[in-house]
Amino acid sequence: MTTANPAMVRQYGDDIRLFRSRAMKLSWATLIVVAALLPFGMSDYQANVAVYAGIAAIAAIGLNLLTGFTGQVSLGHAAFLGVGGYTGAYVSGEWNMPFMVWLPAAALAGAIIGLVIGPFALRLRGNYLAVVTLGLVFVAQYVFENWKSVTGGTNGTSVTAPVKVGPVDFSKLSVPGKDFTRDQSYFYLVWIIVLLVALLAKNIVRSRPGRAMQAVRDRDRAAEAIGVHLARYKVLAFVLSSALAAMAGALYASYQRFINPGEFTLFVSIAYIAMIVVGGVGLIFGSVLGAVFITTIPRVIEEVSAKYQAVEDFLDRIGMTVFSLNQAVFGLLIVLFLVLEPRGLGAIWLRIRLYFKTWPFSY
Amino acid sequence: MTTRGLRAFAVLGAFAFVATACGGDDGSSSNTTGTTAAATTTVAPATTAAGTTTAAPAKEPAPTKGFDGKQISVGVLSPLTGVAALIGKPLAAGQKAYWEGVNNEEGGIAGKYKVNYLIEDNLYETNTTVQKYNKIKDSVVMFTQVVGTANNLAILPLLRDDNIIAAPASQDAFWVREQQLFPVIEPYQTDVINAFDYLWNVGGAKGKKVCAIVQDDAYGEAGLAGLDFVSGKLAFPVDVKSRYKVTDTDFTAPVTALQKGGCEYVLATALPTQFGGILGTAAKLGFAPHWVAQSPAYIDELTAGPLKDYMTKNVMVVAVGPELSYDSNAAAQLMSARQKKYTDIKDPDYYFTFGYVQAMAEHQLFNKAIAMGDLSRDGLVKAMNSLGQLDAQGLGGAYFYDVPDKRVPPAMSSLFKVNTGKPFGLEMIKENFETQYATDYEFVKANI
Repeated sequence: MTTANPAMVRQYGDDIRLFRSRAMKLSWATLIVVAALLPFGMSDYQANVAVYAGIAAIAAIGLNLLTGFTGQVSLGHAAFLGVGGYTGAYVSGEWNMPFMVWLPAAALAGAIIGLVIGPFALRLRGNYLAVVTLGLVFVAQYVFENWKSVTGGTNGTSVTAPVKVGPVDFSKLSVPGKDFTRDQSYFYLVWIIVLLVALLAKNIVRSRPGRAMQAVRDRDRAAEAIGVHLARYKVLAFVLSSALAAMAGALYASYQRFINPGEFTLFVSIAYIAMIVVGGVGLIFGSVLGAVFITTIPRVIEEVSAKYQAVEDFLDRIGMTVFSLNQAVFGLLIVLFLVLEPRGLGAIWLRIRLYFKTWPFSY
Repeated sequence: MTTRGLRAFAVLGAFAFVATACGGDDGSSSNTTGTTAAATTTVAPATTAAGTTTAAPAKEPAPTKGFDGKQISVGVLSPLTGVAALIGKPLAAGQKAYWEGVNNEEGGIAGKYKVNYLIEDNLYETNTTVQKYNKIKDSVVMFTQVVGTANNLAILPLLRDDNIIAAPASQDAFWVREQQLFPVIEPYQTDVINAFDYLWNVGGAKGKKVCAIVQDDAYGEAGLAGLDFVSGKLAFPVDVKSRYKVTDTDFTAPVTALQKGGCEYVLATALPTQFGGILGTAAKLGFAPHWVAQSPAYIDELTAGPLKDYMTKNVMVVAVGPELSYDSNAAAQLMSARQKKYTDIKDPDYYFTFGYVQAMAEHQLFNKAIAMGDLSRDGLVKAMNSLGQLDAQGLGGAYFYDVPDKRVPPAMSSLFKVNTGKPFGLEMIKENFETQYATDYEFVKANI
């Protein structure tokens, strides 16, 4: 007698399980091991690109919880990143607080701002909510530029945020026979946090609050009719999203050791929207894929252009630069994904997985 | 290139530090093996603007990061694309022109060490600058150009960790006392202090309303810091301080604020594209104060269009150096020859010259390090701290290099007005002057 493929979903319980099969657990374990080995062969530059991608992934997961799972459009993500960055910088620098204090403090600051913004979502939706959150970016810019005692104003501020957890200093890790550089060490810190945040987000979306958030996204009045407390879950989504963004901002500040208001502009918010669109709206791992894709694609295009003179020559002939090619690819990808694959890279992966799962009856 | 463009080098050259042979007045013995630019009137391939003067090395420098015993690799982080490409391209081209000249005409630094310059596009973004820094830091002995005040601030902690020297393509006063940085031009603050001190006491600004319009970033803050300092000393208020963002294209609001405030003298700390927009808006609104522009705000292309008359009547530029004709200065001649030979820059501007003269000063630094027999990161820091006076060959003020606390940046400025009949479209109002307040200004490190 044949047995059913354990990866197949046959009941609701299967659908919300974290790992649906032993093979899936093995895949994740392999992925983690491979990721853990990466810094051994990475240059500082590659580690640096990966660290920025990881930081973006944390914030993108936050935005996906808000936009992808709760249906609340936000253009204010850059503001939350900035709040986290400056909070982390201040708490660590002025109060000499350790990692285990400044990172939660940054998340808390973001959560509080999210708590203030969240209630607007009760009365506004769609474009109107987008405009309100857009305003938040400008208000935040004003504050960042003028609250000089905290932010350093337009000159920016240095950040001396230690990343020591107990005896482990994530700015200079070492194992027998290998001393990791600061960039390589940060790779571990950031991607461990990505993993934890992704796990947290996954658990939220597969539990009662997550289902409520998705009900709000799909039809908020219907959700309310079946007993979902709209105010609670909309505000909760804002709080979670802004806390994660602020945490990412604090990590960004800690890693870069310098931040200024110019790093938290509207363009950053738009880039995060692009990350979840390209990665997959409503998919946690899509957020990670999107963040990695959007942050690394400019570097990949640059590397290819630099390596193959023919590419650069071609760009010259058609009057483009690497920068304009990057911009064009960025815009084109968003259009293509919206038109051809609205659920993004994540959905492409799901389809590939489904193909093999249902093989030989894939179609 | 037009005659005006060629002659522009004269004033552009005013920003230049022309490296002298031995680099420094530390008293170490040196041999002058070439003809100095000051002593020649023709552009001979083997003649450097600096004059090739290299002290006999105590020992040959050992290979180290960025130096394989034959070739010295240096890094350039400049915005070659994006919103600031207008300034980044000529800045990087200035470096290219100089190092290509050294490689091809002199056989390299000290006649034997070819310079390999690695140019990376930093997009004028801090995080990209950090990435590109990491990309090439282990392949270079130093960064010979890092464009953007914020970008320099962003990599400063990394420079300290790695003990690498970088030359900022930015004139912020923060750099003066910074061990890891090698600024070669007078600070923005110095120019503003000199200009307004002169205008207040001699130029007719006394009793008039003084205002400012600045870019909303560290560059703008530097200009404003100079104005606040001199206004405090001379006890005049700065009535309106308008700000704009570098990405802005509409300047109606900040210019209207100046107009409503009745401003009669306005400091403009801006970049050329934005300064053109500001002047265009002011002309449209019928607002015609005396504009005092910092040198990076001005390029002579601004006078080529409909703003010519407005600028001729209303715009002054504070920079450094005399009003020179192209033909009168050998260093400018050589720079022009190299610009034509090695770059595709059509009309050199302030930024091209800045990049070129940075490389000249760095040439001195390398000469010194080679004379000391050490091109390592430590060796370059030691060489910088004992470099002494850089010879500007009469083109402007000269930096004095010692340990950071004893460095003395140039305190001289010149004030020009727009005259399209003159080189670079600028006519001298007051040449190479230095005020007490400019020398009083205290330079502090950035809080980084």
